[in-house]
Amino acid sequence: MSEQILEVKDLVVHYETEDGCVRAVNNISFDIGKKKTLGLVGETGAGKTTTALSILNLVPNPPGVIKNGTILLDGTNILELSTSELEDVRGNDVAMIFQDPMTALNPVMTVGEQIAEAIELHQNATKEEAYNKAKEMLELVGIAASRAGDYPHQFSGGMRQRVVIAIALACSPKLLIADEPTTALDVTIQAQVLDLMKSLIKNRDMSMLLITHDLGVVAEVCDDVAVMYAGHIVEIGTADEVFNSTAHPYTEGLFNSLPNLKQRGEDLVPIPGMMPDPSNLPEGCTFAPRCPYATEACKSKLPELRDMGGTHKVACNAYDNPNFKLKGVH
Amino acid sequence: MIKYILKRILLMIPAILATSFIIFFAMNMTGGDPVDTIAPENATEEQRDQIREELGLNDPLIVRYFKYLKGMVTGDMGESYVTHKDVFKTFMKHLPATLQLATAAVFVATLVAVPLGIYTAIHQNTWKDTTGMVFALFGVSMPNFWLGLMLIIIFSLNLGILPPGGKRGFVSIILPAITVGLGFAALITRTTRSAMLDVIRQDYITTARAKGVREKKVIFKHGLNNALIPIITVVGMQLSNALTGSVLAETVFSWPGVGRLIVDSIAKRDTPMVTGSIILCCVLMCVVNLLIDLVYAFFDPRIKAQYMRKG
Repeated sequence: MSEQILEVKDLVVHYETEDGCVRAVNNISFDIGKKKTLGLVGETGAGKTTTALSILNLVPNPPGVIKNGTILLDGTNILELSTSELEDVRGNDVAMIFQDPMTALNPVMTVGEQIAEAIELHQNATKEEAYNKAKEMLELVGIAASRAGDYPHQFSGGMRQRVVIAIALACSPKLLIADEPTTALDVTIQAQVLDLMKSLIKNRDMSMLLITHDLGVVAEVCDDVAVMYAGHIVEIGTADEVFNSTAHPYTEGLFNSLPNLKQRGEDLVPIPGMMPDPSNLPEGCTFAPRCPYATEACKSKLPELRDMGGTHKVACNAYDNPNFKLKGVH
Repeated sequence: MIKYILKRILLMIPAILATSFIIFFAMNMTGGDPVDTIAPENATEEQRDQIREELGLNDPLIVRYFKYLKGMVTGDMGESYVTHKDVFKTFMKHLPATLQLATAAVFVATLVAVPLGIYTAIHQNTWKDTTGMVFALFGVSMPNFWLGLMLIIIFSLNLGILPPGGKRGFVSIILPAITVGLGFAALITRTTRSAMLDVIRQDYITTARAKGVREKKVIFKHGLNNALIPIITVVGMQLSNALTGSVLAETVFSWPGVGRLIVDSIAKRDTPMVTGSIILCCVLMCVVNLLIDLVYAFFDPRIKAQYMRKG
């Protein structure tokens, strides 16, 4: 048994469409330790969700193709499993929480049935046992068991996300993938849902891959952080390392673009430009066109992850110069 | 819910009134003197006047319309100019044949189309999909009567295994049901395919897969159940079409149904028969539509909740 619950190595995922090849995930590697939470951070289109779906081997195919890589879940390579073996892993060993609770639940099934379905599948339970367990799960996420017979349209967004969490946790998976679980919720509900997830994961000794673009959420929940940009991991390390000794210009840009409550009225510092089109990635560093530190060399040389001490790694050519330092987060 | 149903039944009244109004006036505007149809060829002018008086044809049109309405409410829809039989009873005598044909045709159509629609959807953009869609295109574009004739040539004339027409026992319904059903199947296939394509891209399908639900169950339980509303809609539309208008197929197969009754009556200028039949068809359509709307509620809890609120 390895120390890691999840080891992703050299993962490459492309979407092959008629208009060309979208290089969504380009050669990324990361691990998640047992009982650890990894935050995968990046802006929309960085390849976060594709990475998550790859772990369940659920990348929509066509057009999505996992070109290369291994995904070891507790030692087993997910990408080599047969369909029925995969179906046994999904929901049982790995479960996923989706971004939008308004669309993630089947509108014509009661929430009780939807939770019970996973239990019935993976735990050899009868329909009735599964349904009773589903009611317990509802109580666990703070919804009265009496509402098990209600349909999704009878719940608010926050309640629905609780139901989605109940479905994901129903079989006590070893790894929970949460794809922007709070993005679609009101701020006050966000905190509630995050707290709930945090405590449930802790109580059940689970690991989590938390996908988000919200650095505040990462700071609150994650042990480790990986920052993704245009399908590459540009910086990875413990939360402490990434937050306190930020090394990649993109990560620095992300921090600088956060509003600061204490300095109201001050202009935000956005990262100029847009993320490159993943069907037409620039040669060299993908962040170079927006990077304030970019040099001529960045345009042709794709940076590799280099050690920055501890578990901290960064993919930036600027560190070829041993004296290079970021200007620092404002 | 019951309140909703009652409300819907009440709403049928204006629909039926409007139909009766339009059809009554249209039939009277087609010109020609009904007396020509009724009176014997050598009738004197006096006899003709007498007939006109008996039928109330001398009253103004609007008066006749209200008289007709009054009769309709009491179940008296007049009698045929040609056969002198009660219109309502004649219609009812032809209805079972049409009901049988319509149900059989829709049954055949659904049986072929829904699985085919699902199949083509999950194999989208492959040769399997294309083959299915070519079949659907063929079904839509092929004239009903031509297919009927072809089937008669193959199965009745050449193979001699099925009767070419008439209504004698179960076997005689097979060819007309296939003829009418195949055209319907094409539309239902296309609707099923597009509804399924829409549904299988929804997030809750990914949720189901992520739960480890078996692919077949994902498609049928999570997918099909959500795609049913548009499918039910077209199946329902086809059913009301079949109930009121398989005229061509009924003619080709000399099927003694409502469609043929109406066509024959039009040919014979049998005004009361035509007016009555069309109004009754309208009633039938309203009932089928109501049933379809109630079926929606059975399959979709959101629609049910809506009905409850409205009720």
